[in-house]
Amino acid sequence: MAKVFIYPATSLMLSDLVSRFGHTPLGSSVSIREHIQTPGFDSPPLQMTSEDPQKGLKWAAVEVPSGVRGRMSLYGPLVEEAEAAIIIDEPDLAFGCMGCARTNELLAFMLREKDMPRLELRHPKSKEEGVTFVAQIKKFLSELPGGSA
Amino acid sequence: MKEYTPEYVGTVTKYVFVDSPDTTPQDIAVAAYEIAQGVMVKETCFGCQITGTPEDVERIIDHLRSLDPYRIFVKDRGFPPGDSRRCRANLGGARPGYLGHEFEMKLSLYISYGLSEVDKMTPAELKRAAEKSLPVEENLDIGQLEKIFMEK
Amino acid sequence: MSERPVRIAQITCGAEYSGIQNEITSAAETVGAQMFYPDVALADVKTAYKEFGLPVKSPDLKLAIARAKAVVEGKIEADGIFIASCFRCAEAAIVRNELRRYIVEHSRIPVVSYSFNERTGSSTLLTRLEALSTIAKRRELMAREVQTGITMGVDSGSSTTKCIIMKDNEIVGTGWRPTTEVLKSADEVIELALAESGLKMSDIEAIGTTGYGRFLIGKHLNADLIQEELTVNSKGAVYLADAQKGFATVIDIGGMDNKAISVNDGIPGSFTMGGICAGASGRFLEMTSKRLGVDITELGALSMKSDGGEGVPMNSYCIVFGTQSLVNALAAGYKREDVAAAACHSVAQQVYEQQLQEVDIKEPVIMVGGSSLIQGLVRAMGRMLKTEIVVPHHSQYIGAVGAALISSGFVGKKRAEKKGRK
Repeated sequence: MAKVFIYPATSLMLSDLVSRFGHTPLGSSVSIREHIQTPGFDSPPLQMTSEDPQKGLKWAAVEVPSGVRGRMSLYGPLVEEAEAAIIIDEPDLAFGCMGCARTNELLAFMLREKDMPRLELRHPKSKEEGVTFVAQIKKFLSELPGGSA
Repeated sequence: MKEYTPEYVGTVTKYVFVDSPDTTPQDIAVAAYEIAQGVMVKETCFGCQITGTPEDVERIIDHLRSLDPYRIFVKDRGFPPGDSRRCRANLGGARPGYLGHEFEMKLSLYISYGLSEVDKMTPAELKRAAEKSLPVEENLDIGQLEKIFMEK
Repeated sequence: MSERPVRIAQITCGAEYSGIQNEITSAAETVGAQMFYPDVALADVKTAYKEFGLPVKSPDLKLAIARAKAVVEGKIEADGIFIASCFRCAEAAIVRNELRRYIVEHSRIPVVSYSFNERTGSSTLLTRLEALSTIAKRRELMAREVQTGITMGVDSGSSTTKCIIMKDNEIVGTGWRPTTEVLKSADEVIELALAESGLKMSDIEAIGTTGYGRFLIGKHLNADLIQEELTVNSKGAVYLADAQKGFATVIDIGGMDNKAISVNDGIPGSFTMGGICAGASGRFLEMTSKRLGVDITELGALSMKSDGGEGVPMNSYCIVFGTQSLVNALAAGYKREDVAAAACHSVAQQVYEQQLQEVDIKEPVIMVGGSSLIQGLVRAMGRMLKTEIVVPHHSQYIGAVGAALISSGFVGKKRAEKKGRK
């Protein structure tokens, strides 16, 4: 079973397909859950505080906007943990955790930089493309450690 | 600053979405309740949300998936269901993730079809199907554009 | 019966991930307001974004555009709008600016625009949200154009404390003192103003307080109105400048921060407050006058002996570097008047670059506050904005005048209550 970073990190379909085919999806929910389930100072809604953008300094310089650094503090540790990645291009209608284009660009770059198996594709636009989409993901996942190939 | 004491520590929450002519969101919720054994199940307009230990949640999800394997989609969630920090009633509007789900569920038809087709494939067929291109659209290279014009 | 909270539509990008969402919510609650996200569906986002016509890549900015449009078009009701995004994000700055302009042009909903980072606390947001909430809640008070009865306004600023007594639409008493101890300074200026007016404290029918010390003094004086300086100053400015109808822009370069307010029919429409460093505030001019060995009241006259001092290298983006420029310029043999003018120019430039970009400059441009008496600063600002700046009489008392004017809205009610008790 491999840890697969899903991009968009909020993707419903990738979260489903990765776990359906026997691996662990790494996305926003993992980091958000960690914030929500850790005691500390109360800072609703996400329990993120000014410390999070500062933690983000590990992945983005101080001149980078705080919202980017805050999001990177959610994603940075997951990218380090990831053993593979699936990237869907242009997450133009993923909001919230994936709502900032600058963070998304940096995140995609970090995933491409890391030496690990990676699949890049786009959303299907027809039933036929749906077959290709699922087939590519299934094949990619089956070839990962712990996959069924 | 106020101290924060988290609830539901050690649990996971999963969204279960269904978009099917055969199974309604209510069917899914009822099926989940039937085998819940104390695990928290919350019915929603798109299916349900299940909160419990990872093992318990997995057990229920496996059962639900078997009801309509290609048309049920499961997503991991950071928040427990009905959390006031994310609830529409408190925020005045939907949390941002809601709109993202709305967008992705529009693709479910294609993906459901893909899942059912892929399930019938032999490994060799899968390999061939995966080789088909699903290219990331890029702007046409200016050199290529010129070539096309010249050819015309 | 408890008052309905003022509902402020939150149109932000990055607040939750900067860890400051709770600061926004808390600041709003403190001033009796409630933040909410205008509810839009995915289809609304697509349509609104397309209609607005500003191409952006960040989905949350597309959402921001859709939320703003929903409020402006009246699909969702809001008493005020708070637009904010991450400091140093160029994409968001463009959207924020265009949305603010769009809201001001297409609605009468007051709007405040702000850029934050992870250090932004609720106290920074408090004055802005208080102003927003006041404009929404007290429109009828804000609409007051004539002072009636005998009222007093006290403005406890970071540098100076001011008092004004007004009677039947005339200023009859003034008091001015540097702020030392907040209450003591207030008592002193009140005494001065009472002496000048020949009135007694018991003659005063209503009191308003503003400025940093407004809560303390307000409690001390049992004031009828305790109000942040954004709304009070803009009201005072258009009243004194006789610009209560139509558009106007009010600039107040204070001792600690600056305010730029865009006013329509006497009511603030959009405003900014702050400044990155004291180098962009009156504080830098105080330091300049000390270094030049003149009183701050003489700095203006000195600077006017120069053409503008634009040849003197001076950059007060940061007060430390600004002070260094001052020392260097004097050491390099530049004339004192040129250095004085250059300091004025530098402050004007900082205010222009950091703040005036965030409000629409509409004439007349009115400068108020103590710094408006420094002619060199007014001249520099006028040149920068290419307009003749209006400095009304008593401009240094602006907050106190505004407080005296607005608090006269309580006179009628208080007289009636008094009569009822007899």
